[in-house]
Order: sequence, then C-alpha cells, then structure tokens
Amino acid sequence: MNVAPATTRAQWRVVDIVVASVIAVASGVIFWAWNAGYGFFSLAFVAFPPGNALLSGVWLFPAVLGALIIRKPGAALYCELLAAIISALLGSQWGLGVLISGAIQGLGAELIFAAFRYRRWNLPVALLAGFMTGIFGGIGEVYLLGYNAKYTEAMKLFHVFATGISGLVIAGLLTWLAARALAKTGALGALTSRSAHLESPWGRA
Amino acid sequence: MSSTSAARTAERTSKRGLEILATDFGWHHAEREVPALAGLNVRIPAGQKVLLLGASGAGKSTLLHALAGVLEADERQISTGELKIQQQDAFARKFPVGLMQQDPETQIVQSRVGDDIAFGAENLGVAPEIIRARIPQVLKEVGLGDLDLGHRTQELSGGQKQRLALAGILAMNPGLMLLDEPTANIDPAGIEPLRDAVLAAAESTGATLIVVEHRLQAWAKHVDRVLVLAPGGGIAHDLNPQALFDDEKIRRELAASGIWVPGFVPETEPVGTSPGAQLLTAAQMQVSRSVHAIRTQPINLELRASRALVVLGENGAGKSTLALTLGGLLEPASGTLEASPQLSQGQGSEPFSWRAGVLVGRIGTVFQEPEHQFVTQSVREELAFAPTRARLAGSAQDQHAAQAVERRVAELLERLGLTALADANPFTLSGGEKRRLSVATVLAASPDVLILDEPTFGQDANTWLELAKILIEELRAGTSVVAVTHDTDFARALEATELHLTREPDDAGRRIDVQGPMLDAPLGRSWLAKINPLAKLGAVAAATLPLISTIDWVSACVIITATLLALPLAGLSVGRFLSRSWPLIIAGALAAWGIALVGEDSGATLLNLGILSISEGSVHAGIATGLRAMALAVPTVLLLSSTNPSDLGGALAQQLKVPHRFVLGALAGMRLLGLLVEEFTTLTLARRARGVGDLRSPVQRVKARLGQVLALLVQALRRAGRLAVTMEAKGFGSGTRTWVRSATFTWRDAGVLAAGVLLGTAAIGAALWAGTFNLVWT
Repeated sequence: MNVAPATTRAQWRVVDIVVASVIAVASGVIFWAWNAGYGFFSLAFVAFPPGNALLSGVWLFPAVLGALIIRKPGAALYCELLAAIISALLGSQWGLGVLISGAIQGLGAELIFAAFRYRRWNLPVALLAGFMTGIFGGIGEVYLLGYNAKYTEAMKLFHVFATGISGLVIAGLLTWLAARALAKTGALGALTSRSAHLESPWGRA
Repeated sequence: MSSTSAARTAERTSKRGLEILATDFGWHHAEREVPALAGLNVRIPAGQKVLLLGASGAGKSTLLHALAGVLEADERQISTGELKIQQQDAFARKFPVGLMQQDPETQIVQSRVGDDIAFGAENLGVAPEIIRARIPQVLKEVGLGDLDLGHRTQELSGGQKQRLALAGILAMNPGLMLLDEPTANIDPAGIEPLRDAVLAAAESTGATLIVVEHRLQAWAKHVDRVLVLAPGGGIAHDLNPQALFDDEKIRRELAASGIWVPGFVPETEPVGTSPGAQLLTAAQMQVSRSVHAIRTQPINLELRASRALVVLGENGAGKSTLALTLGGLLEPASGTLEASPQLSQGQGSEPFSWRAGVLVGRIGTVFQEPEHQFVTQSVREELAFAPTRARLAGSAQDQHAAQAVERRVAELLERLGLTALADANPFTLSGGEKRRLSVATVLAASPDVLILDEPTFGQDANTWLELAKILIEELRAGTSVVAVTHDTDFARALEATELHLTREPDDAGRRIDVQGPMLDAPLGRSWLAKINPLAKLGAVAAATLPLISTIDWVSACVIITATLLALPLAGLSVGRFLSRSWPLIIAGALAAWGIALVGEDSGATLLNLGILSISEGSVHAGIATGLRAMALAVPTVLLLSSTNPSDLGGALAQQLKVPHRFVLGALAGMRLLGLLVEEFTTLTLARRARGVGDLRSPVQRVKARLGQVLALLVQALRRAGRLAVTMEAKGFGSGTRTWVRSATFTWRDAGVLAAGVLLGTAAIGAALWAGTFNLVWT
C-alpha cells in the first residue's frame, strides 16, 4: 500500500491553484459579457444613479464561488483579486483602483469563511459571505476610494446597503446554487467540494 | 525532496529509457464503486515502444497518470500493489516523465512558445543556460524550427500545439513519454507530422514510449508491442503489433470494444432512398463568423428530404460557419438562404429570422462538443426539452401535445440505449453516451433538416456505428441530413453528396484568428515596452493612487495631460489611444452625470426633478468626479499597451517574491481567456439551437442567462482539471524552480518609477497650490 502523506486542509494543491485561477478567468469572461448587457441596465438607472449598486453583486461572485469550490483559506481573496486583475488588464474604467476594490471585496467574504474556521460551506454562511463582500465593497467605494464621495449622506448609506443586498442575492444565493449545480455535473471531481450537492443547505459540511 | 534527483536526471542528456514494473498494481478513485485498475502485472523494458489499448473504462488513462506521478493517494483514493519506474516507486517521482493528453488547449501552459517549452525544465530546476540551449534544438526536432520564440501559443493549430507540448516534454529530457490519445482532437492533416515527431524523439532519446490511442492506423506499424487492458483488471492480451493486421480473432475482439483496428470500417446497411422535396436553398451565399471576419467563397446548394450532404475541406475554409448558417444560427453575409414553404410552414423564408422555439422543430443543429448543448439536469428532461419548447412556441399545428412528448422521449431513450440512464445528469455520461444524447435531443423535436458538426470526431467505432445507423434511419424517414466532417467513410455510409469548401486563396497560410478580448496584445518596439513591468506598474500606481485622496479637477488634469504627453513613449497614436480608452471616457462622463443628479446641492438650482435636482454645486462636483475617474483610468492604457502579463508575472515572482505557484497558476489560467470567450459565444448559438432564448418573461430570460453562465463554468472547470494534470506532470509546484527569463532592474527602470512618483506629487501639489484640493475623507 502506498499512502502518501495526505495534504492538510489548509494546503493548496496544484489542482486547487489552477481551478481557482480558471474560475477567476471565467469570471472575467462573465464580467465582459455582463458589461455588454450592463450598459443597457445602467441606462435604466440614469434617472437614479445609486440604483446601480443593486446590480453590483455580479462583480462580487468570484469571491464566494472560489471559496465554496476550493474550500481553502485565501480562496475568496485570491479569486476576487485575480478576477479584478483580469478586468484591469482588459481595461477597467476604475484603473488600478479596481485592484484595491477587488482586495477589499475578497476580504469581506474571506473574513466570514475564516470566522467559521473554513469548516462551514452551507447556505447561511454563503449568504453571509455574499452580504459581507457587498458591504465591504460598498464601504470601500464610498468612503475609501471616494467614487461617490459627493453623494449626500443618505445616498451613501443607500449605496452601501444596496451593494450588500446585491451581494447577498447574487454573490451569496446564486453562487451557492451554482456550486451545487456544478457538483452535480461531476465537474468538481478533483476537489474537496465534489459532493456539495449532497450536503444539507443548513448543516455542517 | 524528490525534485532534486529528478532535476539531476533532467540536467544530463541521457540516452536511456526507463524500465517499468507493475506488480499487482491497482488504483481506486474517490467515489467510484469499482477500482479503475486492479491486479496489473507487467514489465516494460527500457526503450520499448508500447501501444496501450482497452475498452473505455479499462483504466488506460489511470495507468498513465500513475506513471506520470499525478495521482495522489489520500484517505479516499488508494493504490494497491506496486508500480515501479527503474526500481523506484512511481509515486516518489524520482525521474522526469513526459505526459501528453488529448485536448491541445490544455497541453500548453504559457502564452509564448519559448516560455512554454522552458516551463517543465524550469520546474525541475534545470540551469537556465542549459534550457536556453535546448529550446531551439527541441523546437527543430518537433518540426516547428521556423517558429519565433515569442510567437503566441494561442495562434497555433491543434496539431502544432501538440507538437509544441512535445517539445516542452523533450526539454525536460524524460526517460519515459506517455501519450494519452495525442491525435484524437486534431485534424487528420496534423496526425502524421505529430506521430513522426514523437517517433523521432523516442528514437533520439531512447526514451520508453507508451501511447494510448483508439485509431490505430497511424501507430500500429511503428510500435514494438501492443498491450490490451482487460476491463476488470490485468492484461487481456500482450501482442506483437503484426497481430493487429493478421489475427482475425484479435481484430474482431478489439473492433467489438470500439477500437479502430487498421483498415476497419463498421458495416452499415445501404440507405436506398431517392431525393425528396426541396427544403433549403442557398444561392450565392457567403458566410462569416462576424462582420469583421473573413467570408467564404459564394456557395450554391440545395438540401432535399431523404438526402445527405457532407461538407469537406481543410481547416479554416468555413465549414463550421456554413453549418451554423444553414442551421439558422448565423445570418448569411451575402446572397440568400431560403426555406421552402414545406419547411417554413407559415414562417418567413429566412431561417435566421425564426424564433428559437420555431427553429428547433424545423432545422436541428448538433454541435461538435455535446456539453455545449445540455440545458437541463437529467437525460429525460434533456430529451423532453425541445419538443416542449416547440409546443409552447405554438407551431402551426400543436404537433407535440404533452402525451406525445412523453411517448417521443420514451421511444428515443429506447432507440439510443439510454433508458437505464434516464435520470442521470447529462454531464456525467461517458463520451460516447454524451454524443448519442446530443443527437437525440435534437431529433426529439423532429426537425426536417438535421445538421451535424464533426459528429464522428474522436468517437470510437461503436459510437460511430450507432450514429451512422441513426442517421440512416432519419434519412429513410425523410429527414435531410448535413454533416461537416473529415471522415470520408462516414460520407460513404450516408451515401452523401459531397461539397468541397476551399480557403480563399489570399488567406492561405494565415495565422489562426483569436477571437474575443486579449490579455496580451502585441507589444511593438516602443521605449516603454523595454522597461521593467514592476517599474511601470509602480509608476502608474504612484501617479494615480494619490488622486484617490482628492476630488478636484486640477490634479486630474495634470495626470490626464501627462498621460497624453507620454503616448509616444508607448508607441501609441492618438487614434489607437482613443480606440482603447473610449469606454473609460464614457464611464467618466456617466460618473459625472450621476453626481450632478444626486450629489449634494449648493448654489443656484439649474434643474429640478422632484426629489432629485441639478445645481451649480452638484455640476461642479460632477465634473471633478468625472475627470478624476478618467485620470485614475487612462494611465493604465500606457501600462497595458506596453506590458506582457507573463513578464509582469515573472517580475512579481522573482523580484517581489510573490509565491510563484500562484503567479504561474494565474498566468496559465489567463491563457484560457480567449478560449473561454469563444466558448461563451458558441454556447449562445448552441442554446438557441436547443430552443432556449425566445422566452417571453424576464424571469425566464434571466434563468436562461444563468444557465449559460453555469455551462461556461462547467467547461472552465473541465479545462482547469486537464491543465492542472499537465502542469503537475511538468513538475509544477514540486520544488525550487529556475527562470529562463530573468527579470532585471536598471537605472532606466528606476527613472520611470521616479517619474511616476514625481508626477503623483506634482498633481497633488498643483491642486494645493491652486486651492482646489478637496480631501475625500472628511
């Protein structure tokens, strides 16, 4: 019998790194496709610009998806940051600021998974992570990077909260459903999350 | 660490192969009921050339992966018995071993030819000067000697990619080469050059060679030994290659398990139909992928009921594009494509104008990759999908009432031998089952015209025969069949008319077009292109990030002006700059509008819209915000148009000591960007061909979009899995690596960095001096 030393929970194997990277790249493609449709949605918000924040969850999903699939410390931060780097390379309207945003958003989700000691990957944790990545992202945009520094105070709060809600729904709920659907296809065969679809939504993974 | 001895072996240019010895070896994958391999006993002497055969699921790939050292035992996956390479445990990876798999896209890791060849040897820690000397040598050996080392790997054909992967393997100086269906995914024209390169390499290095293939024609005469794995475990036959030609019993047995023994063509019944009514007519039709893409020659053809047409021609001639156009998925670039009244049944005469739900019941298209067309969670739903859609789309007569749909599904399940799998997830089927299902899903809507793109590509003989039988039945039932293929035997079986497409003469020898956005645009020879990427990144950061602290127009204008003045350094004309930066400028304008509308009001009110209003103060704030957004964004255009991401990655890992596993993993993923974009576009068409896309409610539309995103992620994960195996087989992440391209930092680089810092300071200074500085965090 050959029993190689099993990698510990926290260590990243080659397949973890490559899958995380490719997820981030695929997220870049989705951003790119979304951009085409986003202009259309944005027009609807020309009358009320802060409403845009309700759609910003799309920029946040790589953090939660990466973590739910890879299940290693740092996955949320790595995927969100790399996805941000890719959108910067494709030409981002936020310049290098997008890297700062990516790091802040990724950190929001990362902290939640860390708080559960990287042992819980269920629906409530995913929702919380999605919400927190939005709140972090919103606070970063308004108070640190100052993109909306000239908003009125009420509008600033609305922006942060709306980003959080958008994160909860898009980055939290939809991403959790996506991870389960992916597990069903057998595409996660080499990863720790390979049987995510068999886990209870509320239980311990 | 094992990598050191592997490196030492890789460093020498040995002329010796490695010996393999398996003793009761077995492997059990996690979450599988039966082991992939069991009780394997075999000895392969050093330098032998072995053809490894077996039915699908016999464990061929598992054995190659075990030998390549990419299987990892843990609490859920276990190995039994012993597998030794040169008397050492294969799992300890004492020797460099080369592995090539079938998907050319994931056999390449880096974005430039030279870097990709070096990748494996670098991972093994071979000294850079030795690798540098080897690169031109191995490139010549695989017949790619005239490629520039900076050539982009994305622009190579599938066959060239495989030969490049072979060059990378040779640069590792392996004593064992493992090839897992190396030619299954490349065009017939690329097969022989690749095989010859492999054989020449085995000859010159003396390496042991194991090839897994199910089309034996190209290899049978050139190997020393044929091993056939038994499905339950162990070796079923250990043959002299001549037996593949002479021994009728062996030939029959292998053919029955789907292997293409040399000269074998499965027998089919004659079609025996005469052409029926005219259904689709193309007149002087040119097709192209997009407005900017090249067009084909003008095509005239007609499709008749009960007749098959095959489209033949070299790669790049536009065969697949023609199939998509005939399928009503692309609009003809010129000329006409007209459906007869019998086919259109009350719809317009142009198939492209039909709604998806209408299209599926008239013209069905089967894509090359079955997974692109799966839209549900089970085989049964998959088959019921199109007929249900056709019914909901309200075709002329409600041809698919709910019960009829059920009957049709049951009948198709039976006919395609998928009844036992009715509730399985389509993505979990085997390759042949997926192919059959993808054809069945399209047949389920009973189209009058059936179009298939490379239906037999990479399929085993059993699936080939089943497909031929289905299509012959369809022809007899009055369907018109079109197949794009390289497979002349298949054309004969369908008694098809042939249409030969040739490439437009002026673009012969063109490089492969890469579609979608690109991360590494060609750099040119500008002054900035020669600067250290970190210096440039630092300069842009130092110049722009201070702007975050203030919202004023003066500092923003300083940076924008400096960027415009620096354009010549990056070799950018004003026109090219604008073509890259217009979205950034528009975004700035939108940001300005947003603030003007909801920003804090002060001064005179210019426009009152109820709760929102525009005032002098909010307009000024808007302009400052918009200029600031532009100033943050536009300098990055200088950086991007003069920097290759691979160089940036190399500098990050070597000079900033960012963990190289993550840097190189990210770069390898980024190489797939163009490919994934292409896949996303194909998915849009493939899903229309399934009847997705003309849904009325917004909820259904959103669901359809989400389904497409999920399908993209599945494809991305599949590629990632294969890429990870390639990288691991090339020794990635196992120890200290060397770098062929060493990053340097000169005084000139320091000057660029200093200029950035100076600029950032000057911008803030100017704002303070002008009194417009306006701190964000107050």
